[in-house]
Amino acid sequence: MITPLDDFLAAAVRTATPLALAALGECITERSGVINIGLEGAIICGAFAATVTAGAVGGSSGVAAGFAAGAVAGVLVTLLFMLFTVYLRADQIITGTAITLFALGLTGLLYKTVYGTTGVGLTIPTTGELPIPGLSQLPVVGRAFFAQPLVTYGLYLVVPLLAWWFARTHAGLALRATGESPDAALAAGVQPRRVQALAVLTGGAFAGVAGATLVLAQSGTFVEGMSAGKGFIAIAIVVLGRWSPIGVAGAALLFGGASALQYLFQSLGWREVPYQLFLALPYVLTLLVLARASARAQAPAALARRELTLG
Amino acid sequence: MLISERFSQTRTRRSALRLLAALGASALVAACGGGTAGSADAFRVALLTPGPISDQAWNGGAYAGLLAIRDSMGAEVSHIQTKTPAEFEENFRQYGAQGYRLVVGHGFEFQDAAMRVAPDFPNTVFVCTSGNATAPNLAGMNFAFEEASFQAGMIAAQLSTSGVIGAIGGTELPPVRASFIAFERGAKLVRPDITVLVAYLGTWDDVAAGKEQALAQIARGADILFQNADAAGLGIFAAAREKNVLTFGANANQNDIAPDHVIGSVVIDLPRALLLVAREVESGAFQSTVYQLGLRAGVVNLVLNPRLESRIPADLRARVDSVGTAIIEGRFHDMDDVLRPADRAGTSP
Repeated sequence: MITPLDDFLAAAVRTATPLALAALGECITERSGVINIGLEGAIICGAFAATVTAGAVGGSSGVAAGFAAGAVAGVLVTLLFMLFTVYLRADQIITGTAITLFALGLTGLLYKTVYGTTGVGLTIPTTGELPIPGLSQLPVVGRAFFAQPLVTYGLYLVVPLLAWWFARTHAGLALRATGESPDAALAAGVQPRRVQALAVLTGGAFAGVAGATLVLAQSGTFVEGMSAGKGFIAIAIVVLGRWSPIGVAGAALLFGGASALQYLFQSLGWREVPYQLFLALPYVLTLLVLARASARAQAPAALARRELTLG
Repeated sequence: MLISERFSQTRTRRSALRLLAALGASALVAACGGGTAGSADAFRVALLTPGPISDQAWNGGAYAGLLAIRDSMGAEVSHIQTKTPAEFEENFRQYGAQGYRLVVGHGFEFQDAAMRVAPDFPNTVFVCTSGNATAPNLAGMNFAFEEASFQAGMIAAQLSTSGVIGAIGGTELPPVRASFIAFERGAKLVRPDITVLVAYLGTWDDVAAGKEQALAQIARGADILFQNADAAGLGIFAAAREKNVLTFGANANQNDIAPDHVIGSVVIDLPRALLLVAREVESGAFQSTVYQLGLRAGVVNLVLNPRLESRIPADLRARVDSVGTAIIEGRFHDMDDVLRPADRAGTSP
């Protein structure tokens, strides 16, 4: 028996999945002291690479290859961002914006090159839901959290793992130190450039997988500009989640829930309410939570700083 | 549009960004052939679309029309995909300054910019599809999309087993709203107790949002969905495939996108419409007007999917056809109150 609540919660988790992936990657990037506004570009590149690869390979191995290709594409486009910001120390905001514009244009151009000027109504095989026996039978949360595509379950593992890695490992400490005080990190024997480079590229891989998720686990097609601002939402989610993996996952779920509520409200057929109010709901909710949370939120001290060390 | 709004939230160095945007725009114009140095007296036609021409719908149809003008009239053509409303006016001016004879802004959203630019370029004819404003060198082109939408609603109501049908649009542009009202009235004509759910995505690109909204309507019992969301509409077809419900396509013939789940498409024959105005401009017969193009002009049609057509009972088919005949003969007045005053004032070619 599927209740409206099940449908709502499942939609919330579905919508949150690509956002959480991209935001977790951005969380790693920002903790190293780099803000990557080019996230949107990495998402759309991941989506396009996943589309081409899954289509070329075909079948269920095509889906796996598509996710891998998405991650690689995310890394490749972010490599450009990394070279400019980490090694040439260019302005991170400007470089990130340029990367996003570049990637949106590039994927549009490649799409037309591969599939013809007017495109095709592409149909890519999707992973589909993979209900976990037992867990998916749980009341209320069962279907929502445990009848999802495999990539969502991957998130359930990554989030606590990342939280542990940040807090308890030497490498995690080195990352956080680089983001807070590159000078101190350098003095302690950490190589800030290398840490930032790896953190930025890891963030790119996450964003690429987020793009692949949009295609391979959700829409089953590619459309120019289908990232539709999700990269920017993910950046806001990092702030909302206060730069902690658990917080970021929660914030993504909150935004996914607000979006799902928006879909649900519109489908209830309340004609008297302007639909724009529903569309604004996720953003209004995010703003409200952000306003409450920001008093306690603390960005990495060296975030977006151009000069790496003072010495 | 959505993306650019997000940009404005995140950008801190506006002037640098503006430079970037300008660079990007000019690169795009160059890439799309906007800078072609043609002979001065060639008949040159430009098209501005609000979205990608790979959408299999509204924008793709207009691009097909542009190519038809090139192929059958030997015109030099140029296309540009606009990003933000701020660019509409700039793009119009570029084409006007380059001496294009006809510039088509493809959508109601281009109208304000066209009205501002048109007086500065009296030798260029500006046409806004779905527009209703006129000036000496500015015409509107109104597609009576609602005529075939009404017919689609009739079919949807009778084929629905749940008694709930849905309509999903990108944003609430006047022609989209009118077509959804027509869809609902057509449905209620056949089945007065039918429930019609209407939702808007606030975007024309977000496929995932399209799919989620479709899933939400399907969860509320909707078993036939009408969509008018361009590229985002592809997500609605994905949901239809997944949940095995039927849909109606819009703007272009979308029957082949999901051959087992699209029962028919409300088609605007954009090549036919754009050729019509291009021929008038070239021959000098152009007169400022709001073109009324619907079933009668053969520009708007309900094209059924041959693979699923047999599901429509003969008596329903006859009823739908008789409404079509009434519209063509001007005997159909169920939608008169919905249409904008300027639409009715316009002349029929």
